Amino acid sequence: MKPLSWFLLALFLMAADAQAWSLFSGSDKEERFPGMGGDFTLRSADGPVSLKDFRGKLVLLYFGYTSCPDVCPTSLGALSSALKKLPDKDMAQIQPLFISVDPDRDDVNKLKDYARYFHPRMIGATADLPYLEDLAKRYGAFFRKVPVEDSNIGYAVDHSSTIYVVNRDGKLVDMIQHGGSPRRILEHIRKALQED
Amino acid sequence: MFKQLTSGLLLGLFLASPVFSGTAADDIQVMDPWAREVPPGLTTSAGFLTLHNKGSKEHKLVAAESPATGTVELHTHINDNGVMRMRPVKDIPVAAGGKTELKPGGYHLMLMMLKKPLKSGEKMPITLQFEDGSKKEIQAEVRHFSMEKGMKHMKMDH
Repeated sequence: MKPLSWFLLALFLMAADAQAWSLFSGSDKEERFPGMGGDFTLRSADGPVSLKDFRGKLVLLYFGYTSCPDVCPTSLGALSSALKKLPDKDMAQIQPLFISVDPDRDDVNKLKDYARYFHPRMIGATADLPYLEDLAKRYGAFFRKVPVEDSNIGYAVDHSSTIYVVNRDGKLVDMIQHGGSPRRILEHIRKALQED
Repeated sequence: MFKQLTSGLLLGLFLASPVFSGTAADDIQVMDPWAREVPPGLTTSAGFLTLHNKGSKEHKLVAAESPATGTVELHTHINDNGVMRMRPVKDIPVAAGGKTELKPGGYHLMLMMLKKPLKSGEKMPITLQFEDGSKKEIQAEVRHFSMEKGMKHMKMDH
């Protein structure tokens, strides 16, 4: 065969090889949760809030409700403590978002105050229950209103307690389970900041 | 002899009387009581503490109240495979010689219908009631979330 043919063949093989390698390489960080996550639009005291509003930033989502006396303040408190350790230039790339799954009791103004209490940049938002149910499912979050007898609370909201990390392209890339210390949360955030 | 018998009997009765056996409130030592500061406008918070039973029989915390709230309930959290379920409980037992912790994620006092917002640094009076009717008043320290113990001991966290 002519040298040119050899050359072209080699080139072709290299290209094919590179393609094959890319399929097997560790670029799966964006596909960790295939089919999960996705865009959404919620209501807040400052108007509609959509995930795509924050393209280019890391979005940290937490589902909870303001009448939650322990689990939510614990997680949001830990998240807040973690965020406060970041230098300003890193914090500028992060958007924390608290999503209430209890729209009956949590109006947008209450949510704004609640979110701001934990961190000045945190946004509090909600939507109607059917929308929230679909949204939670897409993110792998769980919540359920449960009537409670023998108590003045009326009903409890059972829920998973996880911080969802959405990357700059709007893709769900990480989940930080409940009980994470500020340091562990910080590790997850720093890792996400370093990627892409 | 008769006199001795009577004295002996009376002494015996006296020693066996409730005056000398510890009430639950006597037996229980309360350690590090605190309540969480919450955002203004919220009327529900949680109180935590450790109960140490120095007595020789099990005791139970059955109720609590505070002038700072409308009502206090006893609650716990059940972590059901990642789903947190908060439920009221009838009582919180403390084994003889043992300790029971009311802490974030577990047992807690649910402080409901707060009459005014809890502010970090304040003390909140709470009266604990035990199974035998005895009561104990404590002063819970109100803490901002950044002051929680778990946050300080970061070296021990995984």
